[in-house]
Amino acid sequence: MANEEAKSVTDTDRTVDQLSSGGVMFRVQDLDLYYGNFQALKKINIEIPARKVTAFIGPSGCGKSTLLRCFNRMNDLIDDVRIEGKILLGDRDIKDANMDVVRLRTEVGMVFQSPNPFPMSIYDNVTYGLRCQGIKDKALLDEVVESSLKKAALWNEVKDDLGKNAVKLSGGQQQRLCIARAIALQPTVILMDEPTSALDPVATGKIEDLMETLKEDYTIIIVTHSMNQAARISDKTAFFYLGDLIEYGDTDRVFSKPADPRTEAYITGRFG
Amino acid sequence: MTNDRRTLDALTNKRGMNNQRRLADGIKDFITYLSTSLSVLVLGAVFVFVLTRGWQTLSWDMITGDFWGGNFKVNFTETLPGTFTAPGSLPQDAYFSEKYGFAVRDDKNHEKKDIMVLLYLDPESPLKTSVGATAGPTLDQPLSAGIGAEIRKITYVNDDGAKKSAGLLGKQNAEQMVFTLDTQSVSVDSMDFQSSGGGIRGSLAATLMLIGITLVIALPIGVFAAIYLHEIAGKGKITKMIRAAIEMLNGVPSIIFGLMGMTVFFPLTRLFGATTPNILLGGITMTVVLLPVIIRQTEEALITVPDKLRMGSLSLGATKTQTIFKVVLPNALPGILSAGLLSISRIIGESAALIYTMGTFVVDRPQLNGRATTLAVQIWSVMSGEQPNFELASAISILILLMVLVLNVSVKMITASLNKKWKE
Repeated sequence: MANEEAKSVTDTDRTVDQLSSGGVMFRVQDLDLYYGNFQALKKINIEIPARKVTAFIGPSGCGKSTLLRCFNRMNDLIDDVRIEGKILLGDRDIKDANMDVVRLRTEVGMVFQSPNPFPMSIYDNVTYGLRCQGIKDKALLDEVVESSLKKAALWNEVKDDLGKNAVKLSGGQQQRLCIARAIALQPTVILMDEPTSALDPVATGKIEDLMETLKEDYTIIIVTHSMNQAARISDKTAFFYLGDLIEYGDTDRVFSKPADPRTEAYITGRFG
Repeated sequence: MTNDRRTLDALTNKRGMNNQRRLADGIKDFITYLSTSLSVLVLGAVFVFVLTRGWQTLSWDMITGDFWGGNFKVNFTETLPGTFTAPGSLPQDAYFSEKYGFAVRDDKNHEKKDIMVLLYLDPESPLKTSVGATAGPTLDQPLSAGIGAEIRKITYVNDDGAKKSAGLLGKQNAEQMVFTLDTQSVSVDSMDFQSSGGGIRGSLAATLMLIGITLVIALPIGVFAAIYLHEIAGKGKITKMIRAAIEMLNGVPSIIFGLMGMTVFFPLTRLFGATTPNILLGGITMTVVLLPVIIRQTEEALITVPDKLRMGSLSLGATKTQTIFKVVLPNALPGILSAGLLSISRIIGESAALIYTMGTFVVDRPQLNGRATTLAVQIWSVMSGEQPNFELASAISILILLMVLVLNVSVKMITASLNKKWKE
């Protein structure tokens, strides 16, 4: 079992290297997304760079979270969604019917808006994903728990009480636990859907610091409502408005010399 | 402007409580109060009535005793006398045997015949060690005369080693029998008595068996159906129709389920050797009655599990099935437990569906594939005879009310704790 796991880890590493050789993790081509008759995303073309932080910004209802959920196919859970176009992860179209969605979600982890640890022990939370894959090797699980919690900067706070129920942690700790839980599966990408919107400034600062170190190993895509946050932590910024990708480029450039007047209006706070 | 002023003036004039309004309010208030007090009064009256009529009958002996009285002949495994002291609470006309530790008194039964009633039996008394003496299933099995049993004859051994009879069959009343035993006997040999019956042990056992069977069948089916409806099925028309059909089942009078059980499910129970209505058939029928309740309750419990937990699980590469069984179900467990408790209280209270499927004949030693009555049906049974036994019916009612009360309070407590758990 341990060998199997080790093998799959190297597999993932290889994919990351292959992918990052071109520097591109996701390639979205002509993506249209409809909720029933409503078109939420219109002809989106975007390339997400590997091992960078990409921020999606835009006013509510602009489609940024919808696009984020395309990357791990969480939109599948919503009735009446129709998607056209391509989302390539390497050379695989993740929209493909043959795509192993369960496998995809272990490669593309996700952190949600409000912390959602399971009402079970910290240890069980972190090992949940691996146990779902059928891994029972205690030594391996122990190792993963320690390394994941260390990477999520939570180890020092909880190492003495891994049996504690996760819902008893503070909000910021819960969110870091959710990050650790995603990391435990050795993903290549971590999607973050407004991960700090339910947290206080101190907890937010900790998560932002964490992202800085995480991007050395993972590709991070973050949806955020905070201009400051996008400016502080992201390498690339994409601005969405009413389902259109208005502008996409290096964060410094987007924030200092926005090409589109709507981008400028939004980041200077004139609407949104 | 002037118009407004005029309206305001008109209003100001009417601001005080005028008599008409006071009267109208008064009548409506009176009706409200009257209705409330009436319903409280009626409920209270039912409770008080049942309590006063049944309290005297309610006793441990009634709960553990047989319903059917009968004539029994028993031998004693312990025959030698001891020294006993009478308890303080014996009535005036009771006679206490200091050698054998029992008390009897003379009485007349409802046919005006002389009888001798056992009033007290010391726990150490040799009479407690009785075993069945007649051929049949009770031979050599413990068979003790309970309080209220009618003693007809006690055979003792005298100084000469001869066996003699004391008691009514020996033309002796209570005083004479106790005197004879205390002065002339060396040991006791056997006893003839008639047990009074009126116990509910059989119905109690049958009720518990019915609860067990029904839950074993109904809980898994109901829980899995709820999981399908809430977690797996889409929100399409078919799901809506299934749900509507289940809701409708809830409104069907249970006697119809009883009829259905008798005709549809009875052949099934024949496989288990049933030739008459039986407990198994009752359990299958109650399953049908309870499925809507269990499905509904379980769905309610599933709804309280926040969606963000399902999302979290799926985003970690868990399959839908893993998500349901590892995350959703454990968190819905208290709700499922309360579904079980509600079902138990429905089973205890049900009678119509069981009359056809389990019969109305009170059985003291119920078998799964034989006739039996639950407590509720026993009430019907004892009240429908030529001599309705109101006291027994009331005593059973007290028990049922108590059980249902305890169950409902538990459900309330579980629901409250469940709601608190997810309040953020």
